[in-house]
Amino acid sequence: MKNLIRFSIILLMISGSVFGQKYMTKNGKISFFSNGQTEKIEAVNNQVSSALDITTGDLVFKLLMKSFLFEKALMQEHFNENYVESDKFPDASFKGKVTNLSEINFTKNGKYKAMVEGDLKIHGVTKNVKSPGNIEVKDGKIIATAKFSLLLKDYGIKIPNTVINNISESIEITVNVGLDKIK
Amino acid sequence: MKKWIKIILILAIAGIIAAVLVFKFYINKPHKDIENAKAEYTFKADELYTEFKSNNNADSLYADKVIEISGSISKIETPTDSLVVAVFSQKKDTTQTNTDDLFAELDADGGIRCSMLFKYNEDAKKIVVSSPIKIKGLCIGKQGSDIIFEKCSIVK
Repeated sequence: MKNLIRFSIILLMISGSVFGQKYMTKNGKISFFSNGQTEKIEAVNNQVSSALDITTGDLVFKLLMKSFLFEKALMQEHFNENYVESDKFPDASFKGKVTNLSEINFTKNGKYKAMVEGDLKIHGVTKNVKSPGNIEVKDGKIIATAKFSLLLKDYGIKIPNTVINNISESIEITVNVGLDKIK
Repeated sequence: MKKWIKIILILAIAGIIAAVLVFKFYINKPHKDIENAKAEYTFKADELYTEFKSNNNADSLYADKVIEISGSISKIETPTDSLVVAVFSQKKDTTQTNTDDLFAELDADGGIRCSMLFKYNEDAKKIVVSSPIKIKGLCIGKQGSDIIFEKCSIVK
């Protein structure tokens, strides 16, 4: 009987380490950069939630638009009130997959190329996106980074003609999240 | 001096002053000083959390407002050198069973997450877990099971 209990406990511990393969953070960082003709605009969001399941490759992100902080208050105001309409569409999210899971060894420290594909929802509009990225495995932590561009018009974000030279039509997005294993 | 030169000079000076004022107070207007702003609402951490959970209008009521929260911090997170987040945590929501969904996984452990102003980072790192504290910041809104605050300071 004692052996059976011991065996069950060991089995549970092993299965826990094999199946509980989910990583997450609530302090992910996503920033964007607009390289307009007359103005460069950058904003950073430091409270991005993200989770990754390394057995299935499922990857999600969630953030609040109002958590994007700008250098200039007026830009932040225009961004929230006029462009992304944060009161109407408070959050943005991504739900997708790492598609080249077999090329990444999550148990070994190292840097790996990753391919990510999924649905990106911004301003109430969902679009399928694909982007290469990097995954770094470092002492049990996963650092996922990516850089990609998106077009404002794809997400129904309208820029008035008066400021068309200030804001780039194509916005560069930088993702940097450090994910910890869920205990 | 001829009268018309005087008029042009006055108009030019008025124009420059107007431009400077527009630049300073409109285009370059400063961010709201959250640290020194008076709190529009004061809440106990668990009351604010319950309010967001039960009141569907909570976002429109409290987002963009300066709120003072009292309670005890359950953890301090320092993901990068420049970022310190103090968290008033809630107990794990055990009613969540759908753990196949990664979004549900993110929501399993909720709390009030206060991203500190840079100048408060060092003080925040010294916050003693579970002792009473007051934190003031700008309420951003509800993100899953979390309530997000930015530009937070410790109220002395």
